[in-house]
Amino acid sequence: MAEATQSVDFKNFGRKRNPGKKKGKMARKRQRTMPQGGERKGKIDLKMRKMFQKRARDYNSDEEDEDDDEPAEQDAVAIEVDGRRKNNEKFEVGSSDDGEEENEAMEGEEGEVSEDENGGILPGVVRFSEGIKAFKLAFKKIVKKSGGDDDVLGPVLSAHKKLLGEKLAEEEEDKKVKGGIKKEKHLISEKGHVKPENFLDAHEKFLLGVATKGVVKLFNAVNKAQNAQKGFNPSRTKDEKAIKQRRKEAFFSELGKTSTQSVGTAIKVGTSSGSVDGEAPAWAPLRDNYMLTNPKLKDWDKMQDTKAADDFGRTSDADSSSDDK
Amino acid sequence: MARFRKNKRVPFVRPMLKKQPTVDHVTGDKIPKSFVFSRGKLPGVLRQLQMDMRKLMLPYTALKLKEKKRNNIKDFLNVAGPMGVTHFLILSKTESSPYLRVARTPQGPTLTFKIHDYSLAADIVKSQLRPRCHKDLFQNPPLIVLSGFGTGEQHLKLATIMFQNIFPAIDINTVKLSSCQRIVLLNYNKDTKRIDFRHYSVRLQPVGVSRRVRKFVQNRQVPDLSSLKDVSEFLTRAGYGSESEVDDEAATVSLPTDLGRVNRASNKSAVKLQEIGPRMTLQLVRIEEGLCSGGVIFSEFGKSYSSLI
Repeated sequence: MAEATQSVDFKNFGRKRNPGKKKGKMARKRQRTMPQGGERKGKIDLKMRKMFQKRARDYNSDEEDEDDDEPAEQDAVAIEVDGRRKNNEKFEVGSSDDGEEENEAMEGEEGEVSEDENGGILPGVVRFSEGIKAFKLAFKKIVKKSGGDDDVLGPVLSAHKKLLGEKLAEEEEDKKVKGGIKKEKHLISEKGHVKPENFLDAHEKFLLGVATKGVVKLFNAVNKAQNAQKGFNPSRTKDEKAIKQRRKEAFFSELGKTSTQSVGTAIKVGTSSGSVDGEAPAWAPLRDNYMLTNPKLKDWDKMQDTKAADDFGRTSDADSSSDDK
Repeated sequence: MARFRKNKRVPFVRPMLKKQPTVDHVTGDKIPKSFVFSRGKLPGVLRQLQMDMRKLMLPYTALKLKEKKRNNIKDFLNVAGPMGVTHFLILSKTESSPYLRVARTPQGPTLTFKIHDYSLAADIVKSQLRPRCHKDLFQNPPLIVLSGFGTGEQHLKLATIMFQNIFPAIDINTVKLSSCQRIVLLNYNKDTKRIDFRHYSVRLQPVGVSRRVRKFVQNRQVPDLSSLKDVSEFLTRAGYGSESEVDDEAATVSLPTDLGRVNRASNKSAVKLQEIGPRMTLQLVRIEEGLCSGGVIFSEFGKSYSSLI
């Protein structure tokens, strides 16, 4: 029939440029639909074949030689083979089912199957409303039946109670092992991590005290240093000079006592376990480049004379030692 | 027909970074900068600790330093040169405990500390009733207070120098006290040989002023006078429980200049510290000559090296 439509099409082509489109379409459709059945069959065949091959491989390895030479064969043969396959498969499935059913039967034939029959479930078509009732009854019975003293699994419909139990136990064990590993990992990663308490214990208080002492020391030092230059505006040159002068004085007064006092105290501070302020070397006079950055160092010994009024108020007797420097 | 593009693509412009000075304006010292990163894969808690350490090292550190698995120390070192980074703080972890390595770049010694226990900043915040951690805290570098390091041992001296140089030095003639907001305390315990590492915020409060008045001045809000019979009661009536803050004589300072509205130079202020940031207990385990390499100058456990100092 497909050929016939095609021929008609050709005739139309010959007569008109635009033959009845509808008809052509229809024809094409018909053309398409007609063989489609056959094609579909073939397609299904291919699909099915693949599936069946797979199943066959799973179930039975003997079939494989047949699978190999099949692609050479044509569809007609394939259908045949399919038929056989279907049979085979049916048979195999049936056999496997049989095996299971045998197992079931061995364990609980008189239990469940008979009860099902008591509940009134019949094979065949059951009406929906009836089905609900029947199913309810059956289910109730089953649920009522189990729940004994050592029935951990509860109402299990499957007969593989033992297997199921084993599986559950195994899973639980697996979980336990996995959890243990995870816990261990977590412990390792958290090692040393301590959550502090809400209150200050003695040690923390001590540390807080030490820190406070350090801060107070620094602030006092800053206060002392900056009070000295109070009232000067460092941006004004005049004041700047005065500030420099003051600092110089302070420096030399410090220098004067280096040989006697300040070095000694510095060492003492270093050796004593008291708080050593981190800012100590930051203090400008103690820094190495202090003298170098100061441009007016030529007449430093003249300034020593004015030192009497310096803010540290120390009269040093170590002029000679500073001369050496 | 091709349409004209309506929204012109805007080219990605890297935001202008404010270039950090490498040299202090006032004192002319070189500012130390640091990288905090990790070697090996760290668990989440330690990664948080790393972040806390970065915050502690602010502002002269790379807060958002990205590291990859394949980065090695040489990579960091290559970057460190042009950026003027002087210190590396390297966190790592073994099965026994986490470790902190403090190294000077490019050649300097490496101190390896074992972290016996630590608490994150978040843990400490959780433990406090009124945590205080505003952003301005981290705009200035912390002060560092080292205590108990003067036992005369060489390796401790080295550790002292290392920690003193990790933060910029301050000049007491020019420093502004308002920039002293944080303090890092390292306390060496002679008996256990462990170093307590703490991080506090510094706050000043006027001494001898009742809490009410202080709050009134601070908040600029109209106080609730509904329970009072007379206005004068606001000043005269004694405050409640929180007046128990014992004003330690030792913890009071007088300021050279006014600090904010509350702390005046004319009256004394009390120094209040509150813990922020991470808390660690460290033990100096090893000192190496090079950057994570080189000869071992000091080793806590290996006896053969200790005589070499």
